[in-house]
Formats: sequence, structure tokens, C-alpha cells
Amino acid sequence: MLLEVRRLAIAYGDAPAVWDATLEVDAGEVVSVIGPNGAGKSTLVNTIAGLHRARSGELRFAGLDLGAVAPHLVCRHGIALVPEGRRLFARMSVEENLDIGCYRGEARRARRETLDRVYHLFPILSERRRQAAGSLSGGQQQMAAIGRALMARPRLLLLDEPSLGLAPAVVDHMFEIIRAIHAEGVTILLVEQNVVRALEIADRAYVLEEGRVVAGGAPAVLREQTRIQEAYLGLRDGGGPS
Amino acid sequence: MPSLTLLGQSVVSGLLAGGLYALLALGLSLSWGLLRLVNLSHFALALLGAYLTYQLGHAFHLAPWLAAGLIVPAFFALGVVLHVVFARFRVTEFTSLLVTFGLAVILESLIQWFWTADYRRYETPWASASIRVGPLFVPTLELLACLTAATLAVATWAWLRFTYVGKALRAAAEDPAMAGAFGVNHRAHAFVLSGISAAYAGVAGAFIALISTLAPAQIWAWLGTVFAVVIIGGLGNPVGALLAGFLIGVSESVTMAVAAPAWAPLVSFSILIGLLVLRPERV
Repeated sequence: MLLEVRRLAIAYGDAPAVWDATLEVDAGEVVSVIGPNGAGKSTLVNTIAGLHRARSGELRFAGLDLGAVAPHLVCRHGIALVPEGRRLFARMSVEENLDIGCYRGEARRARRETLDRVYHLFPILSERRRQAAGSLSGGQQQMAAIGRALMARPRLLLLDEPSLGLAPAVVDHMFEIIRAIHAEGVTILLVEQNVVRALEIADRAYVLEEGRVVAGGAPAVLREQTRIQEAYLGLRDGGGPS
Repeated sequence: MPSLTLLGQSVVSGLLAGGLYALLALGLSLSWGLLRLVNLSHFALALLGAYLTYQLGHAFHLAPWLAAGLIVPAFFALGVVLHVVFARFRVTEFTSLLVTFGLAVILESLIQWFWTADYRRYETPWASASIRVGPLFVPTLELLACLTAATLAVATWAWLRFTYVGKALRAAAEDPAMAGAFGVNHRAHAFVLSGISAAYAGVAGAFIALISTLAPAQIWAWLGTVFAVVIIGGLGNPVGALLAGFLIGVSESVTMAVAAPAWAPLVSFSILIGLLVLRPERV
């Protein structure tokens, strides 16, 4: 098991954001987490990436207790985050953003090779390498955010709402890219509001509601559950759109 | 209208004064732009550095460059300690104004207590040395201060632009949590940057001791102008601070030559206000 999250609880001050999240990600899988706005999806992946501390529960990555790892050392173990809203370093150039991606250890030594790979995956980033990241279009910023995470040469890539705010054609492209990254052997944990897409690409999926994982399993199984059809797929009685 | 020679001379002294502004602005710009701490005590540190240079020369006959050799590393350490305190008490951009204002007042009192409020003048054989370029005079010490400011500004710029630590500092200034997610240990870097900032105050202090007459209240004399330089140059932008120093220095000194000395601050602050109106995103 690459990632094990067991009964995880996370709070902002006194306000609980996640209070019972249990999920697993196996090496080589694509796992989606779906759920409504404010269910705690972003909090969950941000915590895995070391941005927040869990209040209780277990967080293990490749057998290692992430709860005991300093925030800035989490990435060293092979976890990289593409956060919601991209959060690029807007005043820095595209290439400088990518350089921050490979800031740590081994990733820095492999910079040239990984950079070629990222530019091959996103030729537009190579064209704009000297441009301020904040001046890119939404889709290009998303590519830069994914590129930055890939520069860290992660074993586990955390993708938070990669399709948010993008035009449908760009969303198609983004999911192709995610497939391509997965095909290279990167394990992916995807948080996505676009449930149809999220279930399409996933090997397994979890449903997070009000800070709690309420369902999980193969996409085909989840699609059959009436409640999920009603809440997320806009279907009723397993039939056509309501 | 003043003669061309007078105008030329005022441009030269403006550039030189601007160099000293830039030297003071560098450390302030770094800590404000990259640590989000507005360090008002930076001026007090610089003046403390000046008095120490004066004292070491006066009482122990230590050459100013040797004095600077002692003061600059000591100030680096002082900067690190200061940041330990700031980090311990979670000082923010706004509270840093209050805390460092208090610190500046304390330092001013200490300086006044030790050296009294009397004017002090560090007499050195080089004080009146100058280079003659055609009809213009260039005071050697001020030229040296200016060249030092330029060297430090370009070196700091290159450090921020081309090294991993420099990029990490800039990234963390924009989004510390995201930088941390990629392995940037901003807490550790902040100590180094705070040390560098204080060390620059020490460098500025050594030149102030050689160039100007010292009085404890001098701390507040630079405040307005150097703040304008920092903001015009762009927070955290060392080369910007250098160019802004030259801009303000020259415009002040030319104003003094063609109008009256009293008009000088009006010009520098008009430039600042104009810039804030046209490019408000710079701060």
C-alpha cells in the first residue's frame, strides 16, 4: 500500500474540516475523491502534502508515518501537490516555478532530464519559460502547476480540481495529460468536482461528504448506487437525466 | 538658471547621495519584500554601525575597513538573533512596524546614552579626498560608498535570481506554504536573510561614519527618503533599490540647485506618489 489514510481528522482552529477520512491508494493506481463543495477534499490532499497537520488518525506513505515528518520534508519522500487554484509563484517566471518543483535533493540533480520531459509534455511552457507565471492563461497555469509538481519526480501526485475554471476543450486535454502521467508510472490521487470525469479515469473512487468518507469502491459499483446517481450524476432511478 | 557646471556637479552629488540611500535601502527592501517585515530599526542599526566604526577608530585607532570587518559579521549575527525574536513572537507585517519602531527608539536612547547627543565627527585623512573629472569634483569616500552599493545590489540580485536559495526565498515570499510543499525551509532561510539585511546596515553604517556627522536623531532623518527609495525600487528588488536611490538622489540635488533645498523632499515624494497612483500593484 503506497498511501494509507486511517480515521484522519483535520481542523482549522476549533472548526473541524475532516473528521473521519479513511482511504487507501495502491502503487500505480488512479484514485478519485469526489464530493460536494466544502466536504473537506482540499483539506485532505493538502494535509497529505504537509500543508496542514492532522489532529488525529493515521497518515502513512510507503510505510512511513507522515504525521512525524516536518512539512517541508514531506516532498522528499515522493509526494507532490497540484493545489486547487494552481497557486503558482505569479511573479516568478515559468521556469523558476519549475525550478522550485525540483528544489529538493534527487529531483534537483535530475533537473535537466525532468525539465525536458515536462517541456515535451507541455510545449507551450517551453515557449513561455521566461514569462511571469501570473501572466499565463488559466489552462497554461494549470499546466505549469502540474509541471512544477512533476519536477519533484513524485511517486504520488496529488491533483486538486485540475479542471476547475477551464474550458471544456482544455479539460479534455488536461485529462489526457493525467492519463499520460499515469502511464509513466506515477500514482495519482485526484480530487475533482467533475464526477463523470473523475469516475471515468479512476481505478477506484471515494466519496467524501461533510468531512467523512461515506463510500468507496470501483467506479462501476459507485455509479450503480442510487444515492450517488442522484447527488452527483444528476440521474434518478438509474435512468436518464432527471 | 544655474550654470552647466553647477548642474553637472549637482547630478554627481545626487548620484553619490543616491548610492548611500540605496545602501540603506537594500537591507530594508530585502526584509520587507521577502520576509514581509518592515524593519524600522534598520536605520538605527545603521547608525549604531556608524557610531561603532567611529568608536573603534577614535578610541582604538582601528582603520575603518578593519572596523567594518568586525562590525559586519557581528551585525549578521545580530540580524539572526533579531529574527529569532520576531519568529518566536510571530511578528507580522503590521506588528513589525510597531516592534521595530520601539526597537529603533531603544537603540536611539542607547546611542544617546553612550555617545551623548553631541555631534560626532570621525576625522580621517580621506575625508576631503576627491577625484577631479574636468570641472567636476567627485569625493572619493562617497564614490566608494556608491560603488559598494552598486556591487552589493547586483550581487544580491544575482543571488536571488540564479541560486536555488534565492528562488526559494522569492517563492516563499509569495506563498510560503506552497514553497514548503516543495521542500523550501523558509524558517531557516529567513534567519539568513535577516542576517544579511542587518549586515548591510553595518556596511552602510561604516560609510555613514566616514561621510557624515553623527547625531542620534539622524535615525529619523533618512526614514522618509529611504522608504520612498525602497517602494519606488520595488520591494525585494535590490537593483530597483539602487536605481531608485539614484533617481531620488539626483532629483533632490538638482532641485536644490535650481530651486531651493526646501523643495527637495517635495520632489522625491511627488515621484513616490505619482508612482503609487500609476503603478499601485508595486507595493
